[in-house]
This record gives sequence, C-alpha cells and structure tokens, in this order.
Amino acid sequence: MSDKPVSDNPDHENRGLVSSVPEPPAEGDLNRRDLLKKAGQVGAGVLAVGALGGTAKAAPRRIGQKRPPRGGKVTWALEQDPVHIAPFGAILTSNHWGKAPMYESLLEWDSKLNERAALAVSWKVVDNKTIDFFLRKGVKFHNGKEVTAADVKYSVEQMLNPPLPGSISTVGQVPAIEGVSVRGKYTARLRLKAPDARIYGFLAWNRYSPIVPQGMYQQVNAGREGIGTGPFRLVDFTPNDKVEYVRNQNYWKQGLPYLDALTLKTLPDEQARVAALRARAVDGATLSADSAKALAGDRNLKVLKGLTAAFRELQFTLKEGEDKPWHDVRVRQAVNHAINRQEIIDKVYSGNGEYSGHVPPGYGPWPLSRAELRNKYEKFDLPKARALMKAAGQQRGFSVTLTTFSTPLDFGQVAAVIKQQLQKININVNIVAQEPGTFAAANGRGAFEWDLTARGMRGDVDGYLAEFNPSASIYRIWYPKYRNVKVWRDIGNGRITLDQKKRLPLYKDAQQRLLTDLVQVPLVAVTKFQVVNRRINNMYVAFTDFNTGLHTSVYVK
Amino acid sequence: MIGYIAKRSLLVIPTLFGISVVIFAMVRLLPGDVIDILFGGDVTADEEVKQQAREQLGLTGSYPEQYWRWISRAFQGDFGDSLRNTEPVSAILRDSLPITLELIFLALLIAVVVGIPLGVISATRRDGTRDYAARVGGLVGVSIPSFWLATLLLLFTSRVFGWVPSLSYVSPFDDLGANLAQFILPALSISVFTMAIVMRMVRATMLEVLGQDYVRTARAKGVSRSKVVYRHALRNALIPVVTVVGFEVGVLMSGAAIVEIVFGIPGVGYTLLQAIANRDYPVIQATTLLLAVTFIVFNLIVDLLYGVLDPRITQG
Repeated sequence: MSDKPVSDNPDHENRGLVSSVPEPPAEGDLNRRDLLKKAGQVGAGVLAVGALGGTAKAAPRRIGQKRPPRGGKVTWALEQDPVHIAPFGAILTSNHWGKAPMYESLLEWDSKLNERAALAVSWKVVDNKTIDFFLRKGVKFHNGKEVTAADVKYSVEQMLNPPLPGSISTVGQVPAIEGVSVRGKYTARLRLKAPDARIYGFLAWNRYSPIVPQGMYQQVNAGREGIGTGPFRLVDFTPNDKVEYVRNQNYWKQGLPYLDALTLKTLPDEQARVAALRARAVDGATLSADSAKALAGDRNLKVLKGLTAAFRELQFTLKEGEDKPWHDVRVRQAVNHAINRQEIIDKVYSGNGEYSGHVPPGYGPWPLSRAELRNKYEKFDLPKARALMKAAGQQRGFSVTLTTFSTPLDFGQVAAVIKQQLQKININVNIVAQEPGTFAAANGRGAFEWDLTARGMRGDVDGYLAEFNPSASIYRIWYPKYRNVKVWRDIGNGRITLDQKKRLPLYKDAQQRLLTDLVQVPLVAVTKFQVVNRRINNMYVAFTDFNTGLHTSVYVK
Repeated sequence: MIGYIAKRSLLVIPTLFGISVVIFAMVRLLPGDVIDILFGGDVTADEEVKQQAREQLGLTGSYPEQYWRWISRAFQGDFGDSLRNTEPVSAILRDSLPITLELIFLALLIAVVVGIPLGVISATRRDGTRDYAARVGGLVGVSIPSFWLATLLLLFTSRVFGWVPSLSYVSPFDDLGANLAQFILPALSISVFTMAIVMRMVRATMLEVLGQDYVRTARAKGVSRSKVVYRHALRNALIPVVTVVGFEVGVLMSGAAIVEIVFGIPGVGYTLLQAIANRDYPVIQATTLLLAVTFIVFNLIVDLLYGVLDPRITQG
C-alpha cells in the first residue's frame, strides 16, 4: 500500500472552494455524502449504479429554466506557465491548468467537490481488491475514436509509470493499483494490491487520472499535444505563451460547453494581469487580495472569492535522541493556544480566511466543524498557554528557528505574526525564509526545528493524515517519537475501509486526537481571489484550484 | 588590422570556456536541485524513486562528467532537452531568441535615435532651458528601473486608454504594425536607461569636441554652425558612443528579461527566468551561454569598430 501524502510545495497547492457563482448541478448528480453511502453499499458488493446519472442524454432541464447562451470566446490569464500539458506525471498545478480542459477521468468532481460519474457510468465492487468499471458508451476522443476499456487499461499503465515529460515523482499520489484488465469493450477491471479507499478520489482527480486513447504517446508529442474526451479540443500550446482550445463538438454532455473557444494566456506578472483585465485583453485572472480590492470599483469587472484547500500550518520535528522543549505535549499545546488565528487572518489576509484543522474546511464532510475549531481545539487562550508553559517547566521560554518559504510572501508575514504572538509566552522565534526548492528539500529530510508550511488539495482525506501513521516513511523522519496508537489505528483502518460511512468517524476521531497531540499545528485556510469581466457568467473559485468553472459552467453574455 | 582582429577573436575562446564553466557551476550551486523541485510534492518519496528520476533526466554521474557531456554536445549544436517538458533546448531558443533580439534592437534604436539628438541639443544649448531639461531627463532615465517603468506604462495605458499591447506574440513577418504596437512599450521601458547614457555621453563628448582648436578654426574659416556641429563635432563625438552602445547591450538584455515577464513576451529572458524557477538546467545553461555569447559578440564588434573608427587603437 502506498503511504505517500501529497504536496508541500506551494506549486502543488490547490485553492478555492466556496464558489461565489456555483456550478448548477446536472440532473442526477451525486454529492459526496451520497457517494459515501453508495460506496458503503459498494463495499458490501452491491452494484453502484452509475452514480448517477445515467447517460449523457439523461439531463433534462427543469421546466422554465433558461438555457445559457452558447458561443463566445474567453481568454483567461494564468499566473504560471503550464510548462507542458502531458496528461500523466504533471508536477505543477499549472500543468493541470493547461491540460484540464481537454481531459477527463472515470469519475469527476463538481464545483463543490461532489464526486460523480464521468467516463464510467457505473461500477461494481467484485471484492475488496477488485472493482469493475462500466464505461459510458458512445463517448468519443477528440480524434473521433470511441472510449473503450483498452484505453482505460493503457491510461492506468501510464499513471503507474508516467512517461516523459511527466515525472515519476507523481506515482506517490497513486493508490495501491495493481493493474487493469479488459473484461469487455466497455468493462475495465481494476485490481488493487490491497483494499484502498483512496481509489474513488484518485479517479475523480483528473490531475493524475485522465483517460487517453491507447497508444497516444506514440501518436502525438504528449508534452505539446493531447487527445482527450473533455469539453475542449486543443488547437495549440506554445510554452511560455498560451494554450488555445476550441469547443469539442462531440462532447458527451449535451449542450456543453457553452463557449466556442477558450484561451489560457500565461501572464506571471500580477500588474500585467491587472492591466490586461482593465483593458479587457483577458476575461479573468487570479489576483492577490489587494489587487482584487483595487479592481472592485471597476464597473466592468467583478470579484469572486472562495476558501481554498490550501492551508498554512506549523510543523515540528520530534526526533529520537533529541530533547527539545516542544517534545513535551504541553509546550505544543501552549503554542497552539498562544496563536491567535483570527489575528493572522486579519493582518495577513485582510480578514479573508478561516480556521483550519488537519483537513481544510470545505473538504466534503471530513473536516471538524468551525465551532469545534474556534471554540475548543484552536481557541486563542493566552492564560491557558502560559499555564501550560509553566506546567512544562518552560515559563522562561526558549529560542527556536522557524523556517518558511520566501515566496509566496504571505508565509513570511504569517511567520512574523506568529513570532510576535509567541513572544507572549517567552518563545523567541527566529525566522528563516528559504527558496521553495531548498525549503522542500530540507523539509523532506526533516532538517528543521519548526517549519511554517502548507498543505494543498488531496484526492482523499487519507492524504491529509497518512503521515501521522508509522507506515509512512516520512513519519520516521519527522516525528518518530510521536506515539498514539488510537490515531494510528484510525488512519490505518481508514485507508482500508471501503465503506465510506465507517471511515468518517475514524478520521474525525483522528483529527480530534491530533489537535490534542499537535505534532503539527494547523493554522488558517486561505481565500483565493479571481477577478472576471462582467460578461463572464457562472464562474466560481474552484476548491481544487483547477479553474473548473471555465470548462462547462461559464457562458458569456 | 588583420592581426588585431585575429587577436581579439582568439581571446573569445578562453572567455567562452570560462563562462561555460562558471555557468555550469552556478547552476549546480543554486539551492535545491531539480529533483527537490520535482519531488516537492512528495516528501515521502524513496531515494530509489528519486534515483530513477535522476536517470530519467540524465542527471547521473559526477559534475565533471555532466559538464563534459553538456559542452561536447553543445559544440555540435545539441544543448540537450528541457528537464521539464523534454523539448529540445535548441528549439526553445530558436523560438525565443528572435523575439529578444527584436526587442533589444528596437530599444537600441529608440535609445540612439532619441538619445543622440538630445545630447546634441543639450551640448549646443549648454546651460539653457533645453539643456537643463535634457539633463534632468537623463538623471531620471538612469535612475528609473526598467521593470517599474514597464509596469507604470502598462497600468497607465490600460487605465487611461483601455489598451495594452497584444498578449500573444505577433511576428513582424505576419503583421509589422501589430508587431510594433506590441513591442513599443517594452522597448521604450528598457531603452530609457540606455537613452539617458547615450544622451549624457554625446553631450559630454560634444562639449569637449566643440572646445577643440579645429572646431574653432572651422568656424573662423566661415563654416556654418550646423555644419561644424554635425559634420565635425558629432562625428568625433560618436566614437565613445559606439563603445557605450556596445556595452549597453548587456544592460538591455538584463532589462529585457524582466520586461518580457511584465508584458508576457515569450523571449529568451522570460524563458530563462522560468527555467531558473524550475531548475531546468539545460535551458538555464544554454540560455545563459547564448546571452553571454551575444554580449561577447557585440563587444567584439565594438572593439573592431573602434579600431576602424580610431586606427591608433589597432596600432597600439
């Protein structure tokens, strides 16, 4: 069983959740909660009838509901170049921004992170290590070829061993897939090495699990070209410049997409994006809170914002052979209660943010409630913090080095606020800002005292908690002295429990215990801002940070 | 003269060798290697998988071995493939170099076409209003960072005129007008510093030349003021300007890197900065080497031109 959690690199952060203009769910959509129920049945060997939703044609519109107009072209500014648009092994989030409009997976997420059927119309759990996926018939790739089980087999093989220009480093995101066999033209059997509940999230997260036609890598230069089933067909990708798409005329979701064409233009400089928005040279872009605020008064533009899956956290090392003050749980608890998260949100994020636990707010049903975090686990309580320091014999405090990213700039600002706050319990924090590559390398080696770091989007809740289980190799690097058998059991059982209903209490319990043990101190979830031209309708800040609204939700008027 | 050219050209070889070693070493000395970046998303990755990735990217072997592999291929025109998108580096440069060269050419053109007349006016109207205006302008020109000016210009035109240069590169061979419209702001942004330097240089040398005996003699013989200024004084005053312009190519190249980012122009500077962020060694090495070669070649041309303009130098 793979034990590898996902990204610490800001490149991998996937932001955004609360959609200001949410995507209207299609008829027959299944939300995450429904899916949990379904999957529970699936675990018991019951046929999961395609989630949902039947065939593409089964999307009758509600009476009186006006269909958005089709047509128009949208140009969206990307803040980072995709570098390449290969379907497998993409490292950067921007890789996915570039390729996402043309690729789809067996499952998909909607704007609220509900999983629903996509290229698979239904599936059946044969046993706890075998799942049959039944494909939607008649779905065609952009080259006109119909999607079959052979394509699924080929695609999964590439996921397990991504060819260049993808990177093999992404295999850590793949659950315990052993392989796929073709059971019929439209039936693919997926075999797992061990029961692994992460499989559904993985198959919905098309960042890592797109379906491509068999032999695609022999047919095209996959770094610059692509053949998918998505709503848009690639016209041209010019690195460091733009990605151009046109509508997939044969898209299986009838009537979608609304747009005729979509262009993604790389504009790394924020002021250039601001100028381009003002001049209507682009229709939308992600901006900082300050820039978004500056544009709020422009009558041609509107500001969208949403909470993000990315959250900031304080991370400790608890190594054998060391005796640091924070090895005492009371010191860690004191730190937790001495940190005023609301002050961080106000000072660094201009009031835009939310308290985060180990699972960020908005990640389906998994995170602890806002009230639990604010009033109990993450409550700012200076007297309590001081009492805990005293009880640990640390009332005189200590000095510690806190390492963080040099960019994005908010990391340094959060560190500065924390430094100020912890002075009140006599902890002297020395801040060291490092370039992201250096930071990531040192973090992976456990070469730090405290790190101010980040977590991003995960395909499954396990991705947020796996590192607290000794089966994760990073556990032995970061906190081998940490012991909590109940947490270990929760996380271990959570991964192999296919009945999602039974998983939920396990992960809730683990989070509560972790917020008492505090080997990591989650801080705040960050709000993402996007500014769009007023002619753009139905765009939303996607929780997954993949600009998914552009694909089938946005229309122009 | 031939001996002078040969001597100057031969000096390029050890210079290039030294530069290639420095570039290779500097790239390796950047904190955090490409494997760290690639695995930044997976702190739990095994060393075995990392080694696989190194082999996949051809990053195995000692640094001297890697250097030899790189430089021996580079001599054959093969700069390797990008580590991040596997595109041949030569193809990346083939696309981006003409863009940057055009930007630099336009910036130089603006600097020279505006800077020289300003210098002449300033020198011939010494201590007058126009001289003071030109000198203050020159001071502003050398003080203002090109990236800041670029941002200001962009925000100004978007706010006041609701216009920004085209966001997608337009080749001059497809549409010259659109191409010039796209390049005018970026070229202006990076030309201002060079323009100020040229203006100052022309002014200073013109003042010096205008005080020479032969100028006074020419005037005494009844040659018109404008003839003296343009035929005698300016011609001699331009000799140091040629040198300055040659050196300014380096300044323009560094300015272009940032300005390309601001305007989203996919030139060499833009490519280089992206490659540095991604630790894309082959792209960084080839791009830096190319920029160094461009700089060396310009300086060589300046040296040779200087020899032509002032034969005393070759004789010395």
